[in-house]
Amino acid sequence: MPEKPIIEIENLFHTYMKRTPMEHKALMGTSMVVNEGECIAIIGHTGSGKSTLIQHFNGLIRPDSGKVIIDGVDLSKKRIDIKALRRKVGLVFQNPEDQIFEKLIGDDIAYGPFKLGLPLKEVRERVKWAMDMVGLNFEEMKDRQTFALSGGQKRKVALAGILALKPKILVLDEPTAGLDPRSRNELLDKIKFLNKMENLTVIFVSHNMEEVAYLADRVYVMANGTDVLSGTPEDIFTDKDKLQRYQIGTPETVQVLYRLNDLGYNVNTSAFAVSEAANEIIKVLNDGEGENHG
Amino acid sequence: MASEFELSRNITIGQYVPTGSYIHRLDPRIKLLVFTILVLAIALNTSYLGNALGLLLSIYLFWASKIPISYGLSGIKPAIPFIIILAVLQLIFQGNVFSGGTLFFEYGFILITSESIRLVIVSAVRFVEIILLSSVLTLSTSTTELTHAIQSLLSPLKKIKFPVHELSLIITIAIRFVPTFAIEMEKMMKAQASRGADFGSGEWWRIIQRTKDMLPIIIPLFNIALSRAEDLILAMESRCYTPGNDRSAYSVYKALGRDYLVLFIGLLLSFLLFFYPFPY
Ligand SMILES: Nc1ncnc2c1ncn2[C@@H]1O[C@H](COP(=O)(O)OP(=O)(O)OP(=O)(O)O)[C@@H](O)[C@H]1O
Ligand SMILES: [Mg+2]
Repeated sequence: MPEKPIIEIENLFHTYMKRTPMEHKALMGTSMVVNEGECIAIIGHTGSGKSTLIQHFNGLIRPDSGKVIIDGVDLSKKRIDIKALRRKVGLVFQNPEDQIFEKLIGDDIAYGPFKLGLPLKEVRERVKWAMDMVGLNFEEMKDRQTFALSGGQKRKVALAGILALKPKILVLDEPTAGLDPRSRNELLDKIKFLNKMENLTVIFVSHNMEEVAYLADRVYVMANGTDVLSGTPEDIFTDKDKLQRYQIGTPETVQVLYRLNDLGYNVNTSAFAVSEAANEIIKVLNDGEGENHG
Repeated sequence: MASEFELSRNITIGQYVPTGSYIHRLDPRIKLLVFTILVLAIALNTSYLGNALGLLLSIYLFWASKIPISYGLSGIKPAIPFIIILAVLQLIFQGNVFSGGTLFFEYGFILITSESIRLVIVSAVRFVEIILLSSVLTLSTSTTELTHAIQSLLSPLKKIKFPVHELSLIITIAIRFVPTFAIEMEKMMKAQASRGADFGSGEWWRIIQRTKDMLPIIIPLFNIALSRAEDLILAMESRCYTPGNDRSAYSVYKALGRDYLVLFIGLLLSFLLFFYPFPY
């Protein structure tokens, strides 16, 4: 598939609370390119401007200066079809369970499609599709009360509410923060499925490096309002100096492999996917046994 | 380009802007007392000159506290529609009540006289003055100082078993959470806009529709407010907060000569605004 940029950000600046004593420069010259169908992770320490950046993707924040082009639409232009943009770019906020407001799950997910002015039948189909996508049983769950759900279920409902808009680009702000391990893994698998099978372009913010290693094709690292580093997870997690300089954590697998390496075992430190890392460790164990016997 | 969702930018109530000016360093009890009396005096003054004086005073106070006046004025922005509606209503309906002075215009029950015009102008200016004054007070006083001040000013009421401490706590919490909820509301508007909601694009006369459009924000905001309140209760109780107990304070305030001077000047100005027969 030829690589076609769907999001292009160039030298983007944003200042919060402009012209007040609380003025705060959140973005200072960020650039980034996302190609169609990619899965991109944005990482960086707290307050580095990740959430501010992604709010530019669907025009919630307009560029102060710099270029933001989303699927051919230049957001620095004043007159753009903002509703069409928000339909194309589905943005799931941090703690999206807060935004649920209807009494019944089905109604809440249907809010977006109804706002699009779709006919009832189509709305129903979309709600069903979206609920299937996030692993909620349509018949069983659509008439359940929203307030009596667990945190993880609420988050699924919120995600379904965005998916029902059938976006081309899915943007998620810390989608798994505060979820229990099981809901977390389920959600990650759904995101992977959407990216690989339904061909959604996915951009997600995360503090969890296991997650980044599992999902992302490429990673952008942000610090102090700019992008300081980008590359594949291998590039990022094997660059020890930079990891330290920008206080980026690494997946536990990488840590284990580095320690084995330091102890003089010959392991491949870029094999950080859990199964690959396990193979490396088994290799070390087998070698060790071999020595004992020999 | 300004963002359509930046609400918190225009909220000046409940923010604290530490600049270290002498207004900031005043004894909070005296500061609160002087500001309260000044606001009362301004609220009761109906002359052009008196209100011009009040306006000058509020601007001076902003300058003296080293807080940009533009920031104070941004707090007025959301109130402008109300000021205008109020002014129009007064102009239409108050002509009969304030019928003194010269008659400019008469149509049916609508009378416009120099007195009713004065009322309109003075109330608008007064509104601005009061917002500016209360902004200087809250912008230059931290929450703790404010609680302390309210509590000690109301303390005489303790004698009649009035829950002074509780009341001051309630007032402080209310003020403190205004910017917090502005930020929450901003977040909620953004979240719902991402799901295709649009606010304020319907025609203004379709009030029911426009109110319905706000439901996706209002309901979650209530939920958030309640859960915030619960968090706050937990935080307070886990620090052994017991309502009604006697509490000692971490910082003890002692009024200095400077504070008494400010009190004196404040009282003088308030008397002037109250009693001086301004010619215009
Ligand atoms: N609505 C706002 N008003 C004022 N300042 C803000 C606002 N939102 C964010 N900021 C500030 O802008 C900076 C960047 O915030 P942002 O939310 O983009 O960080 P982040 O990288 O998403 O952090 P986190 O990992 O904690 O979510 C922070 O210093 C924050 O205090
Ligand atoms: Mg964030």
